[in-house]
Amino acid sequence: MAEQTVRYFHRQPTVFLNKKKLLSGKGKKNLRYVRSVGLGFKTPREAIEGTYIDKKCPFTGNVSIRGRILSGVVLKMKMQRTIVIRRDYLHYIRKYNRFEKRHKNMSVHLSPCFRDKTEVGDIVTVGECRPLSKTVRYNVIKVTKGSGQKKGFVKF
Amino acid sequence: MGISRDKWHKRRKTGGRMAQMRKKRKFELGRPPSNTKLGTKRIHTVRTRGGNKKYRALRLDIGNFAWGSEAVTRRTRMIDVVYNASNNELVRTKTLVKSCIVQIDATPFRQWYEAHYAVGLGRKKGVKLSEAEESILNKKRSKKTQKKYTERQKTGQVEKALEEEFSTGRVLAKICSRPGQCGRCDGYILEGKELDFYLRKLKTKKGK
Repeated sequence: MAEQTVRYFHRQPTVFLNKKKLLSGKGKKNLRYVRSVGLGFKTPREAIEGTYIDKKCPFTGNVSIRGRILSGVVLKMKMQRTIVIRRDYLHYIRKYNRFEKRHKNMSVHLSPCFRDKTEVGDIVTVGECRPLSKTVRYNVIKVTKGSGQKKGFVKF
Repeated sequence: MGISRDKWHKRRKTGGRMAQMRKKRKFELGRPPSNTKLGTKRIHTVRTRGGNKKYRALRLDIGNFAWGSEAVTRRTRMIDVVYNASNNELVRTKTLVKSCIVQIDATPFRQWYEAHYAVGLGRKKGVKLSEAEESILNKKRSKKTQKKYTERQKTGQVEKALEEEFSTGRVLAKICSRPGQCGRCDGYILEGKELDFYLRKLKTKKGK
């Protein structure tokens, strides 16, 4: 079921599927490469037990999380394996001694292990990784449920 | 140079155009693809950044292929390009690229297997063996060496799909090197789930 969507044999490149013991039919469970992201983030069960192949997933793929860790609110989930999050912040104007609200949208990669768990409005923790595409440099490493319908400005 | 790999010709994330800041630079250069074909070896070398070399293979016919489950690698001739996931045109023109599926000559692997396990591989039942092959397969051995071979034969079973390929003399393999960059065409023999996947793809293509 993992390789059905593409025209080549979709596999994790670090897993050798053809060891003799497996070929003769005696093999046990599915070989899968899973790693921990570090910094105290738990790798989700879906990543360990799932069968998806995603080379940009921080838990089962070839990206390392290093550098900044940010958070944001999920805005849109229309892209394949990547979402748009919104980060709000306050900018200080010195002349008036007051703040103004600003926001930035960011495209971040969403691993298939989080796909069913996130909805628009959830708060998401993202970690910096190497550039994954033209605009994506961050990867979702944790999802916490949003507070429902409360719209408005949330500072992080 | 015509092909360049710059970023400033693309639009921004917001959709706005980027004003041209500078002319094309040499470090942004790109070169035309090599499209290495199946044929007698022809390799051109390219001088790259820093004075280093890239070997642009224009025609190749021999590659170093690995048999993963047995951990043996042999140099064999490539016979035919059979499948390419990206582009069927590349199959038609017999272009060698990374991750295309080729048929390779199976004899070096069969020779190794029969010498290592003293069991025939992909041989038709009932066909009389020539004298040279007889001497390898059914050699008179001392008890000690015979024990060695029987011990090996315990783990020597080859999966059915692969054995069928050996009987035809052509084995499916996947190219893992980049011929236009390193000038070599190396890869590994398809086995297990991967072999099933590609055999199915080939069958549907032939059936169409």
